Amino acid sequence: MSVEADIGREVADLTAGRPAVVLKSSEFRRAREPGWHELERLVDAAERRGVRMLSPDELNRLPQLYRSALSSLSVARAIALDRHLLIYLENLALRAYLAIYSPRTGVVQAGGQFLRAFPAAVRAARWHVLIAFTAFMVGIAAGFWLTVQDESWFSTLVPGGLGGGRGPASTRASLLDDEIFAPWPGWAVSLGIVANFLFSHNTLVGIFAFCLGLAAGVPTILLIAYQGLILGAFLALHYDRGLTVEFLGWIAIHGVTEISAILLCGAAGLVIAQKMLFPDRYSRVDSLGMHGRQAAEIAVGAVLMLFVAAILEGGFRQLDASTPGRFAVAAATAIGWLAYINLVRPAGETR
Amino acid sequence: MTSADTAFPVLRRDWRKRREIVTPEGVPLTVELAELSERAIALILDLLICVLAAFVILFAFLYVAITGKLGAVLFFTVLNMVMFFLRVLYFIHFELSGRGATPGKRVAGVRVIDRRGGPLTASAVIARNLTRELEIFLPIGLLFSASSGARGPWGSLLLLGWVICFLALMIFNRDRMRAGDLIAGTLVIAMPRQRLLGDLSETRARFAFADSQLSAYGKHELQILEDLLRRPGDAETRELLRDVCDRIVRKIGWTEPLAPTDTALFLRDFYTAQRAFLEREQLFGRPRADKFDAARKREG
Repeated sequence: MSVEADIGREVADLTAGRPAVVLKSSEFRRAREPGWHELERLVDAAERRGVRMLSPDELNRLPQLYRSALSSLSVARAIALDRHLLIYLENLALRAYLAIYSPRTGVVQAGGQFLRAFPAAVRAARWHVLIAFTAFMVGIAAGFWLTVQDESWFSTLVPGGLGGGRGPASTRASLLDDEIFAPWPGWAVSLGIVANFLFSHNTLVGIFAFCLGLAAGVPTILLIAYQGLILGAFLALHYDRGLTVEFLGWIAIHGVTEISAILLCGAAGLVIAQKMLFPDRYSRVDSLGMHGRQAAEIAVGAVLMLFVAAILEGGFRQLDASTPGRFAVAAATAIGWLAYINLVRPAGETR
Repeated sequence: MTSADTAFPVLRRDWRKRREIVTPEGVPLTVELAELSERAIALILDLLICVLAAFVILFAFLYVAITGKLGAVLFFTVLNMVMFFLRVLYFIHFELSGRGATPGKRVAGVRVIDRRGGPLTASAVIARNLTRELEIFLPIGLLFSASSGARGPWGSLLLLGWVICFLALMIFNRDRMRAGDLIAGTLVIAMPRQRLLGDLSETRARFAFADSQLSAYGKHELQILEDLLRRPGDAETRELLRDVCDRIVRKIGWTEPLAPTDTALFLRDFYTAQRAFLEREQLFGRPRADKFDAARKREG
């Protein structure tokens, strides 16, 4: 437009009694508005149908438009006093940010990622696992020592529901027939054991050990040690009747998996306790947010291990009625878990 | 209390709690936390969907149960397990699917994000959803599980206390986080959709104001005026506008005659001039937050 025409327009405005007003923020808005609308259209489509449904061209445009919207927002924050514009840009930038940075993983893929992350999380918590393991071993030793000396300790240490009729009154024959080499109860009961795994004693102990990490970890250690006490008492009961090896076979076939899982739950609880008690240079909530994920990975993995243990207990234990056979399965699971924990690395990480 | 004062809470849109996240590009963005009611609605909807799906799957089991090969207790145990896996897979699938929200959450207009602005990872989503099991479903499941006889009333009370503890944690923390959000480092935010409305500033002004008249107000008053001008034009708004117009005329010492029909026009022109003035001042490093700040700047 020529200078003369400009002047001509101004003169016309003056004659109409309405002087022109120039707002920097309005000019800015006019220049950038088409880009915002284009981004808004793309984000709408992504929210409705998913980012994957955008065309390659649109996918190309999305991050460019997003970055230019971010820069618009920064400029608007500096120069504009139009509150609605700021709210709009903030909302648009947030929606675009979420469309771009959201995960696009399927359940299977996420499961795969998790199965790779779980061993790494456990390895990072090796000291916590060691503490839980030590507490458990101390428990076993104490339980065994007390019960061997005086079998009345058994009823003190083992809660009634868990004893299942076993106790100082049990004979060698009754332990062999009703417990260690009891006949397979049929598929309905086995299915019940597997299906009820989430509510079984050991899963609850594991979950409690994890949660009690929030109570500074001391209850976690006590709970783990108490589980050791119970196992020690059982061990002594069978030791007195010359059934040590048979009992170990009976417990080990699923116990290797189950006890490892409980110890891992305890270790996860201890990670939480440590990060809460010693948050380093972060706030406690931030510290928990950063490391809670690792603890949760361990606990979730442990729950999956408990499911495997329930299958072993419900399905295989009474079917495999020979002690060497049971030890073979136990050894196989132990080697399997150790190899898994030690060898599997997250994708992209090399040794 | 004048009508302008009573109108103020209506004008304020910040009834939601706000938090700031920083994008990987380094720009801080404000997010609005989801209300507990919205989250409850989302959860109930999702559970309804899951229960329906579980029952469809379980018709086969139901058949076996009716024909007598499966006891009622075992039936509910198996139902419980199927529900567990279904629920977990459902929540994880949808929260990882790019929208960060299950169908229930989408209806309620909320979604899950990373608390610190990073990408939402698979393990965070898995962690927050399995913790929900622990917070709500495990105790409830225990209340109805096969071994309920062995627990006694104190056990049930303990379980109830367990649920209440976790609910209290959610209600009483600043960021409305569940234990699962706390551990996974996530937030649940509301996702309102904002449309771009027209610019209120005029390109041609009929009323002209002097700088001395415009220096009476600051940014706060300007944005209140903006909200007023954006209200739908009913009788109440017209009355409000007249009231505000009178106050402005008195405050800035406007002496020219002003017809009552020109109220809206006058206010829009005043808004435009005021915004132009304040934006210019801000650019020159003299921002005015509100009228008190403006008064200080005028004297100083």
